[in-house]
Amino acid sequence: MEKGKVRTFFTYVDERYALVRAHPAVKIVSLVVLNVIPWIIEAPVPLASFLTSLLLAAALLKAPLSKLRNYLPYLLLVAQAVVLSYVLGSRIPGNAVYIEFPWGCYVTDRTLLYMASVMLRISSMLVGSTLIFLSLRDTDVVYGLKSLGVPFAAAFAFNLALRFSALFLDDYARVRDAMLLKGAKLDAGNPLERAKLLSRTAVPLMVIAVRRMQDLSFALELKSFPPSGKRTYLHQFRWSRFDVAALALLAATTAGVVVAKMVSPLLSFPGWPFA
Amino acid sequence: MVDARKVAVTAVTAGLCLPLALFAIILVPVPGLPAASGFWIPAGFYFVMTLWFGVWGALGGHIATFLAMGYFQGFTLQVWADGALGDLIAPLVALIVFKLMGAHPDLKDRKDKMAWLIGVPIASLVCGLWVHTVNLYFGVITWPFWWVGVLTYFIGDSLAVFIVGTPLLRSLTSYVKQSPMYIWRD
Repeated sequence: MEKGKVRTFFTYVDERYALVRAHPAVKIVSLVVLNVIPWIIEAPVPLASFLTSLLLAAALLKAPLSKLRNYLPYLLLVAQAVVLSYVLGSRIPGNAVYIEFPWGCYVTDRTLLYMASVMLRISSMLVGSTLIFLSLRDTDVVYGLKSLGVPFAAAFAFNLALRFSALFLDDYARVRDAMLLKGAKLDAGNPLERAKLLSRTAVPLMVIAVRRMQDLSFALELKSFPPSGKRTYLHQFRWSRFDVAALALLAATTAGVVVAKMVSPLLSFPGWPFA
Repeated sequence: MVDARKVAVTAVTAGLCLPLALFAIILVPVPGLPAASGFWIPAGFYFVMTLWFGVWGALGGHIATFLAMGYFQGFTLQVWADGALGDLIAPLVALIVFKLMGAHPDLKDRKDKMAWLIGVPIASLVCGLWVHTVNLYFGVITWPFWWVGVLTYFIGDSLAVFIVGTPLLRSLTSYVKQSPMYIWRD
């Protein structure tokens, strides 16, 4: 591991990224808020402003913005789905009609504006969620959910699922190697044929899973799970001023967006300056 | 009440399905539908886990789908509402069909086979309707593309569950019956 790096869910990030040091509950609440706000906003200009503010805030907090490049192919995939669907299959009235199709669908200036809104909404959710997940460590899931009142058993199960996925990746590799040694050609054929070949690993993997399930349940029962008394924790997370300020900012922003949506047409489609 | 067995079922199902979901997305991606796969291998596993171990198996499938699709989509609200909730509903629908028909997951008699043949397509259809209505609501697809999405989802998901799930149920149910987590009693 490089010096000054912290291991988070899928990667190593610079420890100067301020969100890494935030209270786990702040990370979980941020994840929810950064998804809810673009969901409420419909207009393209406010969505573009939200996305820009998000990127600026991330740069100020020293977030690893370069990691967002990994998600560009996904954004292109969504973009082509949105464009295809809206160009060939929508009827949104506007001031100018650019193309009309024999099946009754047409493209107007408002179609293009709506497409832009959808793309900005998805991009905002993607950028916001990714920036939070880049700061999230596996222990944060348990501690964050627990401090938000989620039962320990549920938070523990979620965390356990993540840890088990790494074990099953090893199991899958072992089963695949055994099949290859017996002469199976798992890489042959088109993608669907390859997927069918992959599914032949199902029975041995399932036997491993059922055995592991029993071992795990015995181990948990021996450890007296779920805990009946007061549980103690290895790590203690204290609320800093930064955490309290971040939570207050998130609450105020959410409330502001909800109120603005209810009392003015600014955030509803098409919004300022197109209304 | 959550106990050790239920947590074990959920965690192991999620851990098993998560890498399979990632492989499915990488091996058979569907152009036009983000983080979708034309052959959703994990569905075969979490359908079977739900039929053997009940709701907690479905919850494991839900967590796995959320994390796997989230890896490609950055864990957005749409991912959770879309594929992940749909994949929680689908195996539960199949479980309800089995319960209503009084069938068992070992697929031994005619009633069991009928429940499997009817339950899987119904569950895939319900899930397809859910997923593409959410896509429509989030503005990712338009109304004329909705039925195309539902139909392709229905065919693709049913196919994967039948191909992966049938041999699992037929060959492993007698083995799984020994487990204290198995929910059916003869």
